[in-house]
Amino acid sequence: MSEWPAAGTGRVVIASANAEAQVAADLPVPLAGHLNNVGVTSRRDTGSGAFNVWGNSFAAEHLPGAGPVVVDGVSFDYPAAGTGEPDNVRCEGQLVEVPPSAYDWLYLLAAAERRAEDEVALHFEDGAVDFETLRISDFWASEAAFGERVAFESPVMHYPRHVQPRVSALQWIQRVPVTRRATLEAIRLPRNVAIHVFALTLRMRPEAGR
Amino acid sequence: MSTLASEVHVRQWYRDPLSCLQSTLATVLLGAGVEPLPVLGLAWEFLFKPGDVRREEFYYPCRFEGDVARSLAPYHPIRSSWWSPAPGEDPLAELARRVEDGELPVAGVDNYHLPFRPAFRDVHAAHLVVVYAIDRERDEVGVSDAQPPAFRGSIPTEDFLAAWASPNRADAEDAFFSDSEIGRRCLSVEIEGPIAPLDPVRLEAALAENLARFGAGGWSGLAGLRRYLDDLSARAFAGERRPLEELYPFGWGMQAQTYLHGELLREVGADWSFPELAEAGRAVQEVASAWTGLRMTGAHALAAPAAAAAELRRHGNRLRRRYETALERVAQAVESL
Repeated sequence: MSEWPAAGTGRVVIASANAEAQVAADLPVPLAGHLNNVGVTSRRDTGSGAFNVWGNSFAAEHLPGAGPVVVDGVSFDYPAAGTGEPDNVRCEGQLVEVPPSAYDWLYLLAAAERRAEDEVALHFEDGAVDFETLRISDFWASEAAFGERVAFESPVMHYPRHVQPRVSALQWIQRVPVTRRATLEAIRLPRNVAIHVFALTLRMRPEAGR
Repeated sequence: MSTLASEVHVRQWYRDPLSCLQSTLATVLLGAGVEPLPVLGLAWEFLFKPGDVRREEFYYPCRFEGDVARSLAPYHPIRSSWWSPAPGEDPLAELARRVEDGELPVAGVDNYHLPFRPAFRDVHAAHLVVVYAIDRERDEVGVSDAQPPAFRGSIPTEDFLAAWASPNRADAEDAFFSDSEIGRRCLSVEIEGPIAPLDPVRLEAALAENLARFGAGGWSGLAGLRRYLDDLSARAFAGERRPLEELYPFGWGMQAQTYLHGELLREVGADWSFPELAEAGRAVQEVASAWTGLRMTGAHALAAPAAAAAELRRHGNRLRRRYETALERVAQAVESL
C-alpha cells in the first residue's frame, strides 16, 4: 500500500489511493448533491477558496484526486477538488439519504473552522431517531482535540492572495457510532457552518445483508 | 546580552483556541519560570462590557479596568499596565530599558508590517508579540510570536516601528481586527510575589468564587450571558452588523478563557485522580466548542445579519445550555475535593 500524499508534510498520513485496498464493508455515501463550499484551491487560483471567513483553503496538490481513497483502513470517495467548484459540505443541517441497511459506524473526512462539537441526527427505517455527537478539530495548524487521526495534512495554507508556508492545514478522519440495531435511512448533518465534510462512509454491521 | 542569547530564554506556548493575548502572557510567565496553565486557567467567567469591544485579536473584557493580566489571572499576584512612549522621545528607549532590565514587554502590532505574519503587506490586523531584544547595532528587534506560523527571531527595526505605530486603518479584508489604532501600546506584566503551586484547597477556593461570579447579574454570569445572547440575536434580526463584528473578538476572549479553564480542570483531575474534576473540565471544554458555532455563524453573516438571527439564537441557546451543564459539573467536582 503506497502512502498518500507526497512526503514532506511532517506527519504520518494514513491513506492510500490504491483502489484494490477498498474495504468490502464500507459504503461511501455520495455527497455530490450537497456540496456547497470551496475548501480546496489550486496554487493558481487561491482566491476562490472560502473554507473559513478569511478565505483560506487547503492546497489541492497535497490532497488526493477525485475517486476512491482508503484512510486509516476506511474506504472513501474523495471529491474533485481544486477546480474552483464546491468540494465539501459546509454543514447547514442537510439531510443526506443513505442506502437503507444496518451500519455500525459513520466515518467522515472533515475539518472545522475552529474546533467544533455538534450533533448529527440518525434517522432509521422504523421511525426512530438518535442524536450522536460529531467532534471535529480545527483545520488550522492544530493538534487533534478529540482523538481523531490526521487524514491529510498540507504543509502550506492557501490565502486569497498568496500561499503561506509553515501554516499547516489538516483534514481529520473522525467517526460516529450507530448504536441502534436498526436500518439507517438518512443522516441529518449539524446546523453548524464551522464544520465541513469532504467525504462520508458508512461501515456495515457484520451481519448486514445476510 | 546579544539577541541570540536572549532568544534561547524565550519559550512559546500555544493551543488552537488561544489568541495572542494568552500566548504572549504565557511566554512572559514561562520567562519567570511559571507554568502558564495553572495561572491563566484558574479563573472562569462570563463578562460582557457594552461599548468596550475593540477590533483587536487581544481584546478581553477586563473586570479590573486597564489590567488585563490581573483580569485573566485574578487569583495570582500578577498585574499589568499599558504604556506608550512619550511623544517626541526615542520610541525604542523605554522599550530597550525594560528589556535590558529583564522584562519581556508585550507590544501591540499591526500584522500588515510584520514580515513573518501571513498578513504581511496584505491585511491590517491588531496583534501582540513579545519583545525580547533591541539590537541597536544591527538595527533589529527580537520578537516572539507563538501563533502559527510561530516565529522567534529578529526583524528590522523599521518593520517593528511601522507595526507598533500603525494606525491599523479599516481594512475590508478584516472586519474583526482592523480599524483599531495600535499607537505604540505596550503591555508590561509584573509578577509581584511568589506563585504558589496549585493544590486542592486553592483550587476549591477559586472554583467557589468562579461559581459565585456566575450567579452575578448585569452583563456578567449566566444572567449576563442570557442578556448578551438575547441582545445579539435581536440586533441581528434588526439588521445591525456591528454586534456580529464584535462577537468574533469578544467571543474569542471568552472561548480561550473557557478552554484554558477546562484544560486545567481536566489535567489536574487526571493528575490528582479526581474523576469528577476531569469530567467537569471536559464539560467546560464543551462550552469552548459551543462558542465556535456562535462565533462562526456570526462571522459568516456580516452581509445579512437578519437572515442569521434565528441561527444565532439557536447557537446561543446551545451555548447557554453548555454553560449550565458545565457549571453543574464544576459544582459537583467542588463537593468531591
